[in-house]
Amino acid sequence: MTIGPEIHPKRARPLPFVVAWLLMLVLAAVSLLTAFLGMGNWAPIVQFGIAALQTSALFILFMRLKGPPSLKWVFAISGFLWLSFLYGLSMTDYADRRGWPPIQATSGPGFEARQNGP
Amino acid sequence: MPASATVRPEIQFATLEQQGDTAQLGMWAFLVNETLFFGALIFTYFIYRISYPHEFAVAAKDAVLWCGSVNLAILVTSSLTMVLAINAAAQGEPRAMKLWLLATLALGCIFLLIKGYEYYQDFQDKVVPVVNYEAKPGEGSAGELFWVFYWVATGLHAIHLTVGIGLVLYMLLWRIRRGEITPAYYAPLEVVGIYWSFVDTVWLFLYPCIYLVGRS
Amino acid sequence: MSTTTLERVPAAEPGAETEPSYLTAEHTVASWLFTRDHKRIALLFFASITFFFFVGGFAATLMRLNLATPGGLLQPAVYNRMFTMHGIIMVWFFLIPSIPTTFGNFFIPLMIGARDLAFPRVNLGSWYVFNLSGLVVLYSLIMGGADTGWTFYTPLSTVYANGYVFAAAMAVFINGFSSIMTSLNFIVTIHRMRAPGMTWMRLPLFVWAIYAVSVVMLTATPVLAMDTFLLAVERFVGVGLFDPNHGGDPLLWQHMFWFYSHPAVYIMILPAMGVVSEIIPCYARRPIFGYSGMTMALMAIAILSFFVWAHHMFVAGISVYAGVVFSLMTFFVAVPSAIKVFNWTVSLHKGRISFDAPMLYALSFVLLFTLGGVTGLMLATLGIDVDVHGTYFVVAHFHYIMVGATVSAFFGALHYWWPKLTGRLYPEIWARFAAILTYVGFNLTFFPQFILGYLGMPRRAYTYPAEWQPWNLLSSAGASILAVAYLLPLFYLGWSLFWGRKASANPWRATGLEWATSSPPPQHNFERTPVVTLAPYCYDPQRDTYVTQEGVPHAG
Repeated sequence: MTIGPEIHPKRARPLPFVVAWLLMLVLAAVSLLTAFLGMGNWAPIVQFGIAALQTSALFILFMRLKGPPSLKWVFAISGFLWLSFLYGLSMTDYADRRGWPPIQATSGPGFEARQNGP
Repeated sequence: MPASATVRPEIQFATLEQQGDTAQLGMWAFLVNETLFFGALIFTYFIYRISYPHEFAVAAKDAVLWCGSVNLAILVTSSLTMVLAINAAAQGEPRAMKLWLLATLALGCIFLLIKGYEYYQDFQDKVVPVVNYEAKPGEGSAGELFWVFYWVATGLHAIHLTVGIGLVLYMLLWRIRRGEITPAYYAPLEVVGIYWSFVDTVWLFLYPCIYLVGRS
Repeated sequence: MSTTTLERVPAAEPGAETEPSYLTAEHTVASWLFTRDHKRIALLFFASITFFFFVGGFAATLMRLNLATPGGLLQPAVYNRMFTMHGIIMVWFFLIPSIPTTFGNFFIPLMIGARDLAFPRVNLGSWYVFNLSGLVVLYSLIMGGADTGWTFYTPLSTVYANGYVFAAAMAVFINGFSSIMTSLNFIVTIHRMRAPGMTWMRLPLFVWAIYAVSVVMLTATPVLAMDTFLLAVERFVGVGLFDPNHGGDPLLWQHMFWFYSHPAVYIMILPAMGVVSEIIPCYARRPIFGYSGMTMALMAIAILSFFVWAHHMFVAGISVYAGVVFSLMTFFVAVPSAIKVFNWTVSLHKGRISFDAPMLYALSFVLLFTLGGVTGLMLATLGIDVDVHGTYFVVAHFHYIMVGATVSAFFGALHYWWPKLTGRLYPEIWARFAAILTYVGFNLTFFPQFILGYLGMPRRAYTYPAEWQPWNLLSSAGASILAVAYLLPLFYLGWSLFWGRKASANPWRATGLEWATSSPPPQHNFERTPVVTLAPYCYDPQRDTYVTQEGVPHAG
């Protein structure tokens, strides 16, 4: 007994995927560009934001997050949610710890002297 | 090619649809694990970069930007070819499916070749900790942390990509050869596609970590 | 769709009344080593974890022999390796896999009315990965063992330690993948393969507990995997991410380690809680009190366990602000656990209680878990922790939970489900004796350690001032009693395999779906797909009747 293809949801035509692919390449180029614009601390925020946008396109469209079963969404989001626990709660330590970061490892004043020892 | 009449669900499933949906969920559950695995690595990068911004900016100048950028384009394109292969499987176009899969395979291999060349270049630039490392002026002793992250992250990514290439080969040489991927049931190919695109996702995040630091 | 209606499995041969049991369906060694049957895989895991229980127990025996006198028995360096390997083996090779891979594997499909887990080959793969990691840890042990403590703190583990740290760390790394494979399987199975009518709020609490523990395993383990991988890289290569000479932060290693290892302790307790929630209703012959509260408590424990990890690092050098935040979160995580203790206690009220061995183990669990949990709250209090961190107070606290509670629940599960696993009944008198001896021996071993910790005895120390010997000697003496109590079941359970009375399908008159099939079950679990109409634990203590989850009533 065979099950015909009409029982299963047809995949979308290629066009949306090609459009999404082009969009991701454009976003990558934008991200690359921001590195040279002298945006200071905003640069990584924009760059990782672009990475998140590209990831959303990949997840939702290419990895078929929007198809059945809808439980996939819970899994897709969970990984990032759990990472937010790690990053967020760790900052309660790193934001406030005395003596962090140790200046010995930096290249600030006196670095050469520290390299050569007392 | 007619839809195969011999594919039946495994004993614990009632229908092929249930089996296919469950396979997808299984891969997504595995991706939770992978997200946290790479996310934990990027966490160490995150802590050190916010703690040593200047040192990382100096150390990262030696990252070979063109290799990273070309590889990004290659991987994004390979996700497209992979999804087109799955499309072809769903529409019952086995020849198109195999061609798109071969394209995906080729793109993955080119990524690894460029990566290999980049590693060679890194060795020349003396950014291989312990093996051949020279701290550049201004990177302090913390700059080496950037390069440890680089080698571990790109190494693990390359291993995952190699596994992906292996899975595509397995699909081509085993499952598709035996006629087990049909419009009626192509879940194994979808599952490989999900994994492949996730490997692409990791690179999307590693790219700004490694190649876009301290360029201005 | 998430439920399954399967067609009837044909009989093995024409004229046969029923299918042969899963134990006798096939006889070759290959049929065991390459099985896809979740029940056989459960027994394979059982063999592996029992082996490691005795290896870890042997290390503990040497430690307690050493600590019986201040003069000791072992060289200090050897003692360091003993406590390290004891911790590594007991945590990753016994406690974490214990209930999920044995009773979880065996009973989840049965309890939800499925024929197997979603991914049987992944299940078998998990056992092989576990054994691979076991081989690596045995290699580490035989070559002399690691000596860093099971917590592998850097830079001791990466730079200065002399033992076989790399092998031990890689063993833990590989072991993590076994956990991940198992948990992934359980999560997908429970979501997608429940029998018709088996809604989430009709699931037995053991299934909920395995689901909760699987969520924790899947999300916590990869962080440990990365952490041990980075440790191995640093040790092997010479430079890593935690090297203070390069601005690395040893506390970063600890943050990632405890991000896993605190949820890990909940991995060790959640399945045990599930077991107790099965046993108490059956032996009190009444429904559990507050079923939905119990399910929410399980999920709350699973999630909240991720918010408390730095309470292991209060004196490690984290900021005071972080200390306050994590102390507060630790107080919160105790609340759902307390709710469960209250509910188990109230579940005894107006019950028709019988003190068979599983019930004795379950009641042990409740008492010992309560004491362990309360001392955990004491440790969460910053002021107290500053004093008792790194002392035997902590050692006693976690052994009350991991040994007193979890191992008691493990033995309770073993006795409760023995008839279903083997088709035999165990001798009740011996079992009750072993349960009581366990409780006595356990308290004699570990209560003195609270006192020693309070007096200031540091942990991981091979010797101590002479005035503390009486407590140490008492603890070691208790350990010898505990050892007998743990060995006894080997004998009478082993005896029952050959000479025990044959068990019926439902010897304890319990309501779960696993009791609706024969003891032991046939290879494909059920002759026809069960259809569930009722919540679990429909026991009536007054009339001494019960109704199964399929709605079949039974008289007293």
